[in-house]
Amino acid sequence: MKNATQVFLRRLPVTLFAAVVIWLVLRPAIDTMVAGLAQTLIRSFEYPRVTRLVVADHRAQMRRSDLRMDSKVPSVSMTEVTFNTIVLLALYLALPHPFSRKQLERLFMGWCVLCLSQSINLLFHVKTLYAMGLGEWSQHHYSDFARNIFGFGRYFTDLPGRFSFPFLIWLGFNWDVVMKMLRVSEENDGKRKTDLKRKTKKSEPKS
Amino acid sequence: MNLRELWQKPEARFLILFLTILGVSFTVVALRQVNDTFVTPYTAVIAQVSGFVLRIFGEKATVTGCVVSSPRFAVTIYNGCNGLITSLIFVTGVLAFPAKFSAKLIGVIGGLLTIQLINLVRIVSLFYIGVFLPQHFNDAHIFVWQSLVIIAGISLWIVWAHKFALPQESS
Repeated sequence: MKNATQVFLRRLPVTLFAAVVIWLVLRPAIDTMVAGLAQTLIRSFEYPRVTRLVVADHRAQMRRSDLRMDSKVPSVSMTEVTFNTIVLLALYLALPHPFSRKQLERLFMGWCVLCLSQSINLLFHVKTLYAMGLGEWSQHHYSDFARNIFGFGRYFTDLPGRFSFPFLIWLGFNWDVVMKMLRVSEENDGKRKTDLKRKTKKSEPKS
Repeated sequence: MNLRELWQKPEARFLILFLTILGVSFTVVALRQVNDTFVTPYTAVIAQVSGFVLRIFGEKATVTGCVVSSPRFAVTIYNGCNGLITSLIFVTGVLAFPAKFSAKLIGVIGGLLTIQLINLVRIVSLFYIGVFLPQHFNDAHIFVWQSLVIIAGISLWIVWAHKFALPQESS
């Protein structure tokens, strides 16, 4: 298994490059899919359903059908929302047998979960804008509790989420492979404890 | 299977500890008091170090708070650019992983220093990208360097687990 770790680490720079290329190619589709899912989620809890997320030039424009025609349209960078796809792809592709049916299924499932997390991140961006960024309208329509919830949700899915979700998803869907690669097992845990006991015994003063 | 049996399993223990420490640490750094007393001064120190390195390279860089500026270009170091989140993920991985205390200590100190070194290279390189290739600054900043820093953090954790945390093979 030692070799598996070394192979994984050796592959990682190459797969990172490949992941960047794949993401750049698929970026328009990913942007549309993530914004579409976020829009569906937002409209599911919205009455009347007025929010529309339009993707243009890798930015999601937050349009509302009840805004004046001359209103400014706020937007969110989709690059920041979806760039962590690169990390997920690089980690997946660096594992052994990345193109086996099992690994491809895991990649598909992991990617779906990541897209959902990206959509939720976008949803929190939109809801935070509604709850905090529209002056008196925000004050009137959203409570302090809602502002706190949306603010925390945005913070949590922004930096911590974007940075940790690809790793957590990769770890979760490839738990057996990664744990085997890192040799986390009861056997090794026992070995570690025995080593520790042996050392403690050695350091005890002889009577 | 009860909780005690679950806790005996190193994989389960790692997962429970990892998610708990990660959730708590992300929540703690979100608190305003922590942000004002730790995160912002920490980011300002990183800005100072970056300014110092840029001056070594001959730039007339000055630092004001978290802004590193020179007559040629200026960068503001925000919360996401200080390496803190990657450091938290790395340290959580080290603390949750079944290993000896000494191995964890080596991991935390060595890992934090290495991540900060990588982050310093990132800030300095972004400064020069801003000077020479300003049209590529956003791409380099968002998807190239952020991905690189996350991957570096994960790789460091795997290298640490491989070299320091795992019991050595008996001869």
